[in-house]
Amino acid sequence: MDGYGRGALPPLGLAGPLSRFIAALRLQSTVIGAIMLRELHTRFGRHNLGYVWLFIEPMILAFCIAGLHKISGHGMPGGVDPLAFYIVGYTPYYLFRSILNRAAGALQANAPLFYHRQVSFIDVLMARNLLDAGAVLFALIIMLAGNGVVTGEWPDDPVWMAIGVMLIALFCHGVSLLIAAATAWGAEAVERVVHPLTYLMIPLTGAFIAVWWFPPAVQELALLNPTIHMFEIIREGQFGVAVQHHYSLGYVLASVAIANVMGLIAMRAARRHIALQ
Amino acid sequence: MLELRNLWKFYEAHGSERAVLRDVNATFWKGDAVGILGRNGAGKSTLIRILAGIEAPSSGQVIRAMSVSWPLGFGGAVHGSITGADNARFIARIYGKPTGWVESFVEEFAELGEYYRMPVKTYSAGMSSRLAFGLSMAIDFDCYLVDEVIAVGDARFTERCRIALEERRRRSTLLLVSHQPGILRSFCTTAAILNQGTLTFHEDMDQALATYEAL
Repeated sequence: MDGYGRGALPPLGLAGPLSRFIAALRLQSTVIGAIMLRELHTRFGRHNLGYVWLFIEPMILAFCIAGLHKISGHGMPGGVDPLAFYIVGYTPYYLFRSILNRAAGALQANAPLFYHRQVSFIDVLMARNLLDAGAVLFALIIMLAGNGVVTGEWPDDPVWMAIGVMLIALFCHGVSLLIAAATAWGAEAVERVVHPLTYLMIPLTGAFIAVWWFPPAVQELALLNPTIHMFEIIREGQFGVAVQHHYSLGYVLASVAIANVMGLIAMRAARRHIALQ
Repeated sequence: MLELRNLWKFYEAHGSERAVLRDVNATFWKGDAVGILGRNGAGKSTLIRILAGIEAPSSGQVIRAMSVSWPLGFGGAVHGSITGADNARFIARIYGKPTGWVESFVEEFAELGEYYRMPVKTYSAGMSSRLAFGLSMAIDFDCYLVDEVIAVGDARFTERCRIALEERRRRSTLLLVSHQPGILRSFCTTAAILNQGTLTFHEDMDQALATYEAL
């Protein structure tokens, strides 16, 4: 690389498009890896306990609500374990909220990185979102393993559940590109709109409601929202087919693709208008 | 070689577009040491940022046939919430240099003592510019873009920067942007003046400085 940055790619004509593509890919993965290591220090730093909240926050919620179910004597519909239900609901919701809430400030917070030509806006968002997804997946594994040891209720299909989490991350990545692009009009305004929206979205994301609870007419309406499908996949990974989960993998993949294509187009259009200082 | 072709840059202000750079053409060769003079707000920093590839021109082309540094200046490329050493390792990674070597090079160059392992936001202005300069010296570029960095540190550090840049000048290009003629005299061989968005080159330093003073 020798300091050439993106300019280090072999000049056109000297190398085939494939080797240029591979060189670009290698450079981008090096950059994303470096940003991830740096983010590890800033977010989950050596001296603060940032990563602890990743466990504590979903656990407080899961334990409190599961406790309420226990005290009130009302079980969950279908007799599912409330603790597991809220762990697999809230933890991925945490990922959803974290990616979307931090998207507006992501570029401003990393302004110094863009002094280096080889670091693009998209690299920063990718690195952060990947790190978030990894951290949440890790927290989920630990919590479900703990739950398994204590209650004997183990996830039915952990791989399927992890796929569900990754689908949320991919979908939110696309949306985070859209949010970051919107900051061309002012990061603060975007942040102020996104934050309340992520809270209003809590009942709508599907993190705490299962589709089969509702009559068919409502189900149809609910399934218009792509994130509900993803949470259904995650729940199926935990509870298996004991109750029916409603989702369409095709619909999910199409939503992920559309969100990402729209995000990339928006970033391309907004790139020059995003003012960093 | 680093070339600018028919470069224009517009900024939007209060609903109207304002040209900051107007049809700038320039070619910089290996071994050149060019000072770019301009009053505050003449568009010097914009020009440097476009040369560095941080900002895209509104129209025109930047052709980089050599490796170009990021703009060395007041902090800028340094991240505040991590330590100086973390910054060094990050720079090493993205420029493909051995992390351990860069870390110790910068430690020695910047002379930050125990602050090197503390978050950069605890540094004084002089300390962060020492770190920033050390980081850029750890990577070998063909062309260094300098945005008034030398004016910051104390006399001892200024001298160090001068020596480091002097040494590099034999094999690299130096583009230095300033509004202080004195700095240009000690670092550069030729000068250009950026005035109202237009860049004019002068072969003779004295003539350039006289023209600049008369603006």
